[in-house]
Amino acid sequence: MESRIKRVVLSALLSSLYLFSPLSFAQDDTDTSQKDNEELDKIITPDIERRRIKEDHLDSENFEIGVYSGTLSVEDFGTNTVAGVTIAYHITEDFFAEIDYGLTKTEETSYELLSGGVELLTDDQRDLSYYNASLGINFLPGQIYLWDRWAFNTNFYLIGGVGNTTFAEKKYFTYSYGGGMRFYTTDWLSIDFSLRDHSFEHELFGLPKKIHNIEGRFGLALFF
Amino acid sequence: MQILSKSAVVKIGVLLMHACLLLALPAKADNWLTNLFTDDILQVTVNDAFLNVYAAPGRGYPIFHVVERDEVITLIKSRTDWIKIKTKRNLVGWIKREDMKLTLSPNGEVPDFPELSQADYLEDRFEFGAAYGDFAGADGLSVNLGYRFTRNLAFEVRGAHNTGEFSDSEYLTGGIVFQPFPHWWVSPHLGIGAGRLKTFPSATLVNAEDREDSIMQASLGAYVHITGRLFLRTEVTNHYILTSRNTNEEVNEWKVGLNVLF
Repeated sequence: MESRIKRVVLSALLSSLYLFSPLSFAQDDTDTSQKDNEELDKIITPDIERRRIKEDHLDSENFEIGVYSGTLSVEDFGTNTVAGVTIAYHITEDFFAEIDYGLTKTEETSYELLSGGVELLTDDQRDLSYYNASLGINFLPGQIYLWDRWAFNTNFYLIGGVGNTTFAEKKYFTYSYGGGMRFYTTDWLSIDFSLRDHSFEHELFGLPKKIHNIEGRFGLALFF
Repeated sequence: MQILSKSAVVKIGVLLMHACLLLALPAKADNWLTNLFTDDILQVTVNDAFLNVYAAPGRGYPIFHVVERDEVITLIKSRTDWIKIKTKRNLVGWIKREDMKLTLSPNGEVPDFPELSQADYLEDRFEFGAAYGDFAGADGLSVNLGYRFTRNLAFEVRGAHNTGEFSDSEYLTGGIVFQPFPHWWVSPHLGIGAGRLKTFPSATLVNAEDREDSIMQASLGAYVHITGRLFLRTEVTNHYILTSRNTNEEVNEWKVGLNVLF
């Protein structure tokens, strides 16, 4: 018990040392030399600390996180709403790397509808999700003017990558490519219009079939 | 039931108090963590005839303003090779990062915005990459996240997702990467690692069951420096799969990908 009290008291003492020693030193400084410096500062540089500026002091904003929604046409399985998330890293002003993940639900094929009772897939198997790791290149930088008041920065981009699609409880290796336009409402919030093709090969109808799934999306992205 | 004894609670409390106080020490204020919470005003003085101010961070955007010699500008943030600034008249725009050489810090020195070369990415850096390749006939997609603690050694975690005709597989491994000549433009690297491999045979195969095995990896490859923080990375990996069956398996994988160091 006694040792515990000792420890608490000592710790409290130690903490008070942390608290007061550097501050009291700082206090001394302001009293004498800093006062003179302040006078000088007022003459030379009014309100800034005189030091060398380093890149580390500056906040960098090279990452982008976004959400999107749009329509994805899955060949033979209908066109449906798709929603997803993206994360991108801007390597240079020209190149960026992006990872996206999207989800949609597909419909019955024409054959299933016309034949009446045939069901190729169960309800759960109709869920489709995909992810891609892509590399994009920006081009055609420009501005859009709204009336005589606002100018917004824009750029177009081309993007291509590889990924996986999970459909009918199986994974398919997927190529994706497309392009889009970014519209910067401010420099940290952009609106993204994009058109992509996700292409993979499946054997759901017996024979291998290469399909192209076209997606149009509208997204919002934050830079941080 | 008492999970923590009273004295343990007191100890933890005191430790936490110390930690808070240490963070609050003025002498320690110059690190990135505390910088996150303070609004530093960073100002430089233009030390050239003029600097172009662009409307957005890209060389194709219009130059809508210039800042002249002796004008004080405030630095706001950076994106890729651009720096967002504010002028005395509250005009906001972007200047090229390389133009920081043409300015002066409040102490009269040129601001410290180093020319980053390949050598600057060799130590104390995180590395992230994605690669595409072939895993014993299957299409392989992999990502790696690493930390380079010396010029020659890095620790990394690798994950892969392979999609094949007869089976899909996933692995997650950890390992060490050794780079004997890190400063070479094309720099070879060796690696070893170990982890787990999950295999999911196609549903159409008879008597196929999902299985999970330990794997050991040995790899050989090369980094090729492209520009700034971006590297191309190629690799051939030999996977030794310790199966629960009578014989172990060997699988070869090759891949090529892009890695970013930051």
